[in-house]
Amino acid sequence: MLDYKKIRLMTKLAVYEKKDGKEDIRLSKYYKTDYVRFQVLKTIIASTVAYALILGLIVFYNIEYLVRNAVVLNYKLLGSYVLGFYIMTITLFGLGALVGYSIKYDVSRKKLSKYYKLLRRLRKIYDESSQDS
Amino acid sequence: MMLQLLEIRERIKKFYQRYDAFLLPVVKFIFALIAFQTINKEIGYDARLKAVPIILGLSLLSAFTPSSIMVLIAAAMSVLHVYFISPILSVIIIAILMILYLLFARYTPKHGYVLLAMPVLYILKIPYLMPILLGLVSTPIAMVPTACGVIIYYVFQIIKTAVTMQVNISVEDIIQLYTYVIDTLIGSRQMIMTIVIFSLIIMVTYFIRKIPFNYAFEISILAGAFIGILGFLISYLILDKSDQILSMIIGTVISTALVYIMHFFRLTLDYTGVEYAQFEDDVYYYYVKAVPKATVTAPQVNVKHYKVRRPERAEDEDYDSPETYEDYDDEEDTEDEDNN
Repeated sequence: MLDYKKIRLMTKLAVYEKKDGKEDIRLSKYYKTDYVRFQVLKTIIASTVAYALILGLIVFYNIEYLVRNAVVLNYKLLGSYVLGFYIMTITLFGLGALVGYSIKYDVSRKKLSKYYKLLRRLRKIYDESSQDS
Repeated sequence: MMLQLLEIRERIKKFYQRYDAFLLPVVKFIFALIAFQTINKEIGYDARLKAVPIILGLSLLSAFTPSSIMVLIAAAMSVLHVYFISPILSVIIIAILMILYLLFARYTPKHGYVLLAMPVLYILKIPYLMPILLGLVSTPIAMVPTACGVIIYYVFQIIKTAVTMQVNISVEDIIQLYTYVIDTLIGSRQMIMTIVIFSLIIMVTYFIRKIPFNYAFEISILAGAFIGILGFLISYLILDKSDQILSMIIGTVISTALVYIMHFFRLTLDYTGVEYAQFEDDVYYYYVKAVPKATVTAPQVNVKHYKVRRPERAEDEDYDSPETYEDYDDEEDTEDEDNN
């Protein structure tokens, strides 16, 4: 015989698993610190590449000047500028990622705990039905 | 008028519920087709990419894959078109697109389509649609992809003029071309103003929509449009481009109307997302089609009220004496007109 209560529960679970759940379940495999650290690392790599690209664009933009004055350039000052801006960029994006991905993880956890609650309810139904038979 | 619209909506809702599984790819196919055609029309330098079978094939591919694939295909297509006529310009485009992606767009993966939609809507002369719509359905974070979309549009506008410049292979010419592109891009005050105005529209629409009062959605659409018109009016006057004011106002009005139509149907379409689920237990396999119950919001309650009255009136006539019924009816009608 069909148990409609159970079917309703299972449908809810299946729909969640198919949509938001995929991402939430994937996230739940990490500890929060591991997940956030990994995302921050990815962000830092991405911003490093972007920074290098911007630097490349700027260098190419001033290539004539740079080539002409290659001998007399103050490389120490230039280098400290490049490094200083790099550290600023990295800190900014790193901190942003730290906050943003922490929030994302917490939100996902909250949704997942609802999912587990439904799962427990399902198990209860199973236990009851096995006792009956 | 309202009644007819509501009937159309009911019909669309029924249609959507029945053909849900097929409708989404069809809609995506149409969007992809429009986007690819626009790209070809604007910067279609490479005739090979303009061939009909290729366009249809790529659109078909985008119809059945996630929306990020469509954006990727469009980006690749644009780069290839530019590469055909000037490899150096295509390198610049790739660099700029990558910077935009790595610094900004990668944080809002769900809004990837905005990057593509923004330039396309620009070419269709209704870019104002996007910020109002995003303010309505999204959060202020949508400002990021919107700004990226605006930048992408302006980059390609500049590339279009740069392409017409005399290009030799010598190093000086390449540097000159490159300097021209970067100078124009950074010096484009209109681009920066547009980004600011669009961000404002998103914020205003979003925050007004969040205030709990009647018709918050409708008023937020109008407020967004108003901010847009005001902002662009000021920016055009500053930039001395008063010839664009008329087309901007017309574009905003059309955009607002389109957003309103979308909003009108969204209430229905959003909640009728039919879910198909498969699972099993010890005894059965289940193939479940879950149809959500229609959720009716406050303004809709009034409207439904009006609809239900009609058939009742026919039945009521048998029971009620005509005079009392007339009185009752008049009262109802005026009240409903106020609501609508």
